[in-house]
Amino acid sequence: MTAAAVDAVTGLAAGGGVVLDLSDEAAEFGRTAQRALETAGGDELAQAAEREPARRAELVAPVLDELGAWDLDPRGSADELEAAAALCRAAGWWAAPYPVAQRLARPAGGDADALFVVAPAAPAAPVGGLDLRLAAVTLDGRRYAATARESDVPARRSAFVVGLDLAPLAGAAADADAAGGQADAALGLVLGCWTLLGLLDRAMTLTRTYILEREQFGQPLARFQGVQFQLTDAEVERAGVAELAGYALWSIESGQAEALDDALALRLAAVEAAETVFRITHQLHGAMGFCDETTLSWLSRYSQPLRRLPLGRSATQDALASRLGRRGLAGIFGPNAMAATK
Amino acid sequence: MEYDLGPEAAALRGRLRALVREHVPADYLGAFTADPADLAIAQDFCRLLADEGLLCMAWPEEFGGRGASLWEQTVVREEMWARHEPRGAQYMGVNWVGPTIMRHGTPEQRAQHLPPIARGEVIWCQGFSEPGSGSDLASLRTAARPDPDGDDAGGRAWRIHGQKIWTSYASMAQWCFLLARTSSSGRRQQGLTIFLVPMDSPGIEVRPIACMMGPHHLNEVFLDGVRVTEADVLGEVDGGWAVVQEVLAFERVGIARYARVERLLQEAPAALGDAWDELPAELRGRWARMLTHARRARLLAYRVVSRQGTGQVSPVDSAAYRIAVTRLDQDGAEVLTEIAMAAEPDGEAGAHVDSVDPRRWRRAVEDHARYAVASTVASGSIEMQRILLSRALVAASGAPSSAQPGTAARAGAAS
Repeated sequence: MTAAAVDAVTGLAAGGGVVLDLSDEAAEFGRTAQRALETAGGDELAQAAEREPARRAELVAPVLDELGAWDLDPRGSADELEAAAALCRAAGWWAAPYPVAQRLARPAGGDADALFVVAPAAPAAPVGGLDLRLAAVTLDGRRYAATARESDVPARRSAFVVGLDLAPLAGAAADADAAGGQADAALGLVLGCWTLLGLLDRAMTLTRTYILEREQFGQPLARFQGVQFQLTDAEVERAGVAELAGYALWSIESGQAEALDDALALRLAAVEAAETVFRITHQLHGAMGFCDETTLSWLSRYSQPLRRLPLGRSATQDALASRLGRRGLAGIFGPNAMAATK
Repeated sequence: MEYDLGPEAAALRGRLRALVREHVPADYLGAFTADPADLAIAQDFCRLLADEGLLCMAWPEEFGGRGASLWEQTVVREEMWARHEPRGAQYMGVNWVGPTIMRHGTPEQRAQHLPPIARGEVIWCQGFSEPGSGSDLASLRTAARPDPDGDDAGGRAWRIHGQKIWTSYASMAQWCFLLARTSSSGRRQQGLTIFLVPMDSPGIEVRPIACMMGPHHLNEVFLDGVRVTEADVLGEVDGGWAVVQEVLAFERVGIARYARVERLLQEAPAALGDAWDELPAELRGRWARMLTHARRARLLAYRVVSRQGTGQVSPVDSAAYRIAVTRLDQDGAEVLTEIAMAAEPDGEAGAHVDSVDPRRWRRAVEDHARYAVASTVASGSIEMQRILLSRALVAASGAPSSAQPGTAARAGAAS
């Protein structure tokens, strides 16, 4: 072995520098936000917003404003991006009825309050009842100003989703390069997935508690292997999304050229996981899970926009495959292998 | 956050790739073949790695290793598994036989066994499973009965009677890491003992089992009065169960299965050449999805490695990883096989070839698909992993209140 190789290997033995978790500060910020949202109403927030969609902003935004959430610049530094991700996960935990991820991802420049990633064929976003200046971006990086259409569908059915009218940006913003638009799309997708991850965390926790408490045939449901195995299937999905969410966040903060690939890969896994997790958590809750008195019912309904917009599972998979072409995902092998000496 | 293993890992990866390129034929598919040349390739490659200080780099310095980090070991596992394990059966000696002997062996056992393992000269097989004892290993019936003659030094001796099954490499191995019952009193787990037994001992007969995975994967081992003495006992008499748990823990994280799937998936477009563009869009979509699953399994493995580094591995992490990675093997096999079948059986790749030989790739896919069938069975069935994971999930005391990384599951596992 050459001296250089020995030195190289000795350096690696020191730890490799791999960090799979958010910074302590970001994690603490997330915990603080979760407690603040709990104090502000917790599970009641979604219920109050559903009754009066016009109150959505006042229910959530001031709480986060107090924490300094809107001062975060996720494009500005890794620390701020990680804090934003932790905040989104906390918002997901309570199914907070406010587009936290999209407000955090708002474009630089101050022309809009929130950024939504949209599918041009059917642009839509859960902005019913809100008075925000909206920006939109497509997966190929085209940017628009967006206006929410009027809708008379009650929030209980729409989960606040309304159609958007898109207007191409004029002037300097229109000339912005596609790469910048794609970076916006990646950020929007990834923060949205962190919110969805928070919903999955909560659905799993609620279900674990439920199967330990609920007894049938003289014992808790958790004792039945048929129940246990379903729970493990859901947990493997949730845990996988958590790891991919970390990776996609790192890809943005470290300026990887494949950040949008990584965001789409996360999104595909997250949408798929949500399908499994909500199917199983509903099944294990039985009829109780459909009732308004259980939180799962609210999580399940308000997970819908996150799972269906901008694209559902098949369309996300198509979008990922067309982006990847022949080169595949960055990894340890293949044409765009990461940091591997060929 | 940081997901790049860094320049040192890349250097190690590059070094391993160069050695493989130079010393392992491109179409090598492992030592499990009927061709003795494949076994010789593995033997030679192990000696080479040993000479380069790369075979046992993870071992502590006192046993001839360099105390390499968990991340270095990860790189080695990925590179070796992706290239069909050119260390052959010896990877078992390096991964778990050697480390277990370090922890439980006598000075004499360490002196006898560790140097040949470290030189890549010896093949071990694992005598655990029996016809009536698979997942329920503690029910095993192979018995070591006291030999009234004792050993030459006045110590104890036993005669072993019984049968082992599904024993990989038994026909090539010089040694067996054998679990046998030495007592039937107390709990079933209490009367088991590990014996380190030479495979050329009188009374041992190996019969290969023809199987869909190919030759040498599976064998029966018959033990008819095989004589062992106290010198052959690893650890305590009747104390083998604890050792077995350690072995299984080493085994569960020992194989970087995701690396082979990722490599085959990444090579698919180049292997197909122009035919890639003719694939149904849905199949290319499934390919992209499977790449995502390969990354997911890799990251779950990295989670286990990073927790090993801090001594906080929980069954939640390792079982979730193993469930994800064994399923990846099988789901990946389905997608890869469908892609492989879409290409001309003997066709040359088209314009996009970059160093991927389509015939070699198709053979590797076919080999992987046959092998993947066993993924959810070998080294502990997926059901056992689900039991471990679900126990850890529901054992958590109190409802976690944090939505931050390490929620319900990990909080529980720590208790």
